[in-house]
Amino acid sequence: MNAFEVAALALLTGFVPLLWVCLREREIDGVAALELAGSLATLVLVCLAEAYHRGIYVGVAVVCAAVTWISALVFARFFSRL
Amino acid sequence: MGNAVVDVLLAVAVVAELLCCIGVAVMRTTYDRLHYTAAGTTVGPFCVLAAVLVREGFGQVGLDTIAAVAILFLAGPLIVHATARAARAMRA
Repeated sequence: MNAFEVAALALLTGFVPLLWVCLREREIDGVAALELAGSLATLVLVCLAEAYHRGIYVGVAVVCAAVTWISALVFARFFSRL
Repeated sequence: MGNAVVDVLLAVAVVAELLCCIGVAVMRTTYDRLHYTAAGTTVGPFCVLAAVLVREGFGQVGLDTIAAVAILFLAGPLIVHATARAARAMRA
């Protein structure tokens, strides 16, 4: 295993507390956790693309970052109208 | 030398991100949680970006990583602000 693989695996453990927040806390707290989960997923995808020397897959991380931004704005808009 | 730098940068990134995740889980109010959400779009991504640039340079992979980190860094304050406004609207 190279360093990027180890980093990706370690970053994946960060989803556990975020999932706990999404399941146990209020909805708006879940949105905050979801936003951080999107950032985390982007970094995991970058690390995996670099770990396996598949540079083309960094594009997936770019799309993930953009979708995270859009989804967070949609959730914020939705909850502000409740 | 380059491998050691990459290892250190990745370790800093992982620790920073995991601290942010724990912070989101431990904090009590939405605004405190958003503080850690915002921190997760700065330190960690830039350390991963630096590690990729040390390894790959400014090639296709490096430029794509710059794009991904730039989106995270620039969009982070926007979504945190929007979420804080939504939290305030829900409380009112």
